[in-house]
Amino acid sequence: MADVKEMKKALFGPILDSNPIALHVLGICSALAITTKLETALVMSLALTTVVAFSNLFISIIRNHIPSSVRIIIQMTIIASLVIVVDQILKAYSYEISKQLSVFVGLIITNCIVMGRAEAYAMKSPPLMSFLDGIGNGLGYSFILIVIGTIKELAGFGTILGFEILPLVQNGGWYQGNGLLILPFSSFFLIGGMIWFIRTIRPEQVEPKE
Amino acid sequence: MGLKTFLEDIEPDFEPGGKYEKFYALYEAAATIFYTPGKVNKAQTHVRDSIDLKRIMIMVWMATFPAMFYGMYNVGLQASIAIEAGGALYDGWQAGLFTALGGTLTADSGWLSMLFYGACFFVPIYAVTFVVGGFWEVLFASIRKHEVNEGFFVTSVLFALTLPATIPLWQVALGITFGVVIAKEIFGGTGRNFLNPALSGRAFLYFAYPAQISGDNPWVAAQMADGYSGATWLSKAATGEMGNVTNSFNDLSLWWDSFFGNIPGSVGEVSTLAILLGGLFIIYMRIASWRIVAGVGLGVAFFASLLNLIGSDTNPMFAMPFYWHFVIGGLAFGMFFMATDPVSASFTNQGKWAYGIFIGFMTVLIRVLNPAFPEGIMLAILFANLWAPLFDYFVAQSNIKRRLARVG
Amino acid sequence: MSAKKETFGKTVGVVVAVCLVCSIVVSGAAVGLRSLQQTNAAIDKKSNILTAAGLYEAGLSNEELSAIYDEFVEERYVELGTDNYVEKDGDYDMYTSAKDPEASVRVENSNVGFQRRANVANVYIVKNEAGDVSRIVLPVHGSGLWGLMYGFLAVDADGKTVRELIYYQHQETPGLGGEIQNPSWQAKWDGKKLYQNGDVAIQVKKQAGNDNPYAVDALSGATLTSNGVENTLTYWAGENGYGPYLKNQSWRS
Repeated sequence: MADVKEMKKALFGPILDSNPIALHVLGICSALAITTKLETALVMSLALTTVVAFSNLFISIIRNHIPSSVRIIIQMTIIASLVIVVDQILKAYSYEISKQLSVFVGLIITNCIVMGRAEAYAMKSPPLMSFLDGIGNGLGYSFILIVIGTIKELAGFGTILGFEILPLVQNGGWYQGNGLLILPFSSFFLIGGMIWFIRTIRPEQVEPKE
Repeated sequence: MGLKTFLEDIEPDFEPGGKYEKFYALYEAAATIFYTPGKVNKAQTHVRDSIDLKRIMIMVWMATFPAMFYGMYNVGLQASIAIEAGGALYDGWQAGLFTALGGTLTADSGWLSMLFYGACFFVPIYAVTFVVGGFWEVLFASIRKHEVNEGFFVTSVLFALTLPATIPLWQVALGITFGVVIAKEIFGGTGRNFLNPALSGRAFLYFAYPAQISGDNPWVAAQMADGYSGATWLSKAATGEMGNVTNSFNDLSLWWDSFFGNIPGSVGEVSTLAILLGGLFIIYMRIASWRIVAGVGLGVAFFASLLNLIGSDTNPMFAMPFYWHFVIGGLAFGMFFMATDPVSASFTNQGKWAYGIFIGFMTVLIRVLNPAFPEGIMLAILFANLWAPLFDYFVAQSNIKRRLARVG
Repeated sequence: MSAKKETFGKTVGVVVAVCLVCSIVVSGAAVGLRSLQQTNAAIDKKSNILTAAGLYEAGLSNEELSAIYDEFVEERYVELGTDNYVEKDGDYDMYTSAKDPEASVRVENSNVGFQRRANVANVYIVKNEAGDVSRIVLPVHGSGLWGLMYGFLAVDADGKTVRELIYYQHQETPGLGGEIQNPSWQAKWDGKKLYQNGDVAIQVKKQAGNDNPYAVDALSGATLTSNGVENTLTYWAGENGYGPYLKNQSWRS
């Protein structure tokens, strides 16, 4: 059985040491598109974490029975089912947010983090560790999304989670919202900046010069 | 004499181990304005020439003076026209500064008052650009132990000239910060940036704070009376207010107005004549590439004429003749000063032609066919910057192929 | 990783088993949550209509919202270009029908920005406490800068005066065209007149001023969005849209 130290590593390692976005540069697409507001970023993080954790768990449980010739298809089937279920639940219980997330919940299916963890970790690890690894990677993804979502919403709209922090000029305040940060592609700069930051405090992540 | 001895006296303080070791970059930048560096090359190759990077940059900097001074005069001119039409002085501290210093601006003020009025707007913009951008330059130079690069002289003046006079100064500071840090220093400083830093800074402002840098309001530095349009002629052309019966494209007196620069717009972009003076100077000095400028001209002329032929019922921009494209908006400024930036353009001669033509084509494409952005030259140049290495690559490959065929 | 699990029979068996379990889970979730989802979609639409009707308040629960809607709003179906009511099923939707060649016509001589429109439109008649018609809420759409903008136009019972113009779905640039959703801009519509001497006269233009009854200030920096709003209203208030219906005030009969 895995010891506590290893479990901790699986759970918290992906936040800074092997962050799926900042180090592996996976899952960029949704990180660009839905971080305009913190609320959507939070819900997306939650949805993705759930999907990675459970897909890792289920795949790990049946890993010894999956024939290797069809393993990718089986993984996809399980992931797709989980995503559909999550999408249905969102539509039923938080309609407004699911409207804003639109296709991006469905696109978790194609999110490289999910497939990547299933193939790289869950196929050869016991269920509990796989589950923790899924949650850990979900947390790593969430960490980046939340930071970017906070920056973008605060600088772009002057609010955090819809609460006004910096009153906008349009509403009679003094803060001029930054229109660039409302556009999805501005996340490129922010993710780039975060990678820069993380590699400064974790220099071992810097790739050797070619 | 005294200056040189003084500089030599304080030099040890800035060298490694000295008191102000960290500020060597600043010392070096100041000292080489006056004297050529005393260092000599230690390897075999050595080129001895009267021109170096610093001289080049200072010449480009001086070449912008006609556009800069005409631009400041025009800020005052446009304001006085707006005031004559029932407006008032600009509602902001710049106008306060102007009156506090004893200036008055009415419809029949002389050119000196107008220049002075414009200076009250432009000089603070330029000063902020210089101080904030310079701060980042020195910071990065000190950390990386580089020299402060003279390229910043040019970047700062070009950036300031592409802004409207009424832009808030904090936005100027943010824009130049983005241009210097994100577009240049992150990639390793001058010579390694693949985008033009001045234009990147402007593009940042354009997307971040569109209300202060596009639309109808920022171009005229005065409070406009109801119904007075402060729109640039380019956006008037896009909405059909130009090129119609009253303001026909065939009316050459309007064209000359635009050529001389009596139109609303960013400070430095208005006068095609003044830009031409500076631009021809740097081409004559072999600093700017004539191939790029000619390429842009050809691209615009050809593609605009093609669109004239195709025609459109709903889009008045289709009908705009190519010679109008050159005198309105920022095309002239971009083509002489931005596209010719040696670092972000193509290096090979054929590559320069392709790069220029591509910019001309994209500019017209964005101006005419894209409904969202009236001006296209900024985005066209930035886009072409990305392609420049590719053009060079193809030129190099075809050279290699030809030589291989010849040899073997 | 043993060779044993690579037999054909086992591969098929595992695939079938996984598919079976997954399909049960998925269909279970879909069926179990459908009614909740439909309620959500309906509530969302009702809250937009109530906003246009001026009856919406923040913090209403779903039940209260439905109750208000049922009490004050009546859905009817109007044949566009005429003043006739027609009968339709309760789930009739004009945007779905616009795709059906049988139930729609091609839009001609208009720059409103879409190709076809349904023959019959949903309209929402709002009544006050006394049971008199207070507003008519009309669905409108038209192209802005980047895509179609969908909204509701609320007209006073006199058939001429605009009360609200609420956009609920659009892709305009945030901060520029996106300001069509800004409450202070929406407020400018209240009291504007659609028609002058029987012709559609409403305009969206620069420096229109608050006193001009036929024009609303254009959004600064968003000329094309503003033009889109004007084109939308010109089309929908015109002869091919709700024009005849509004003029004859069919709701009075």
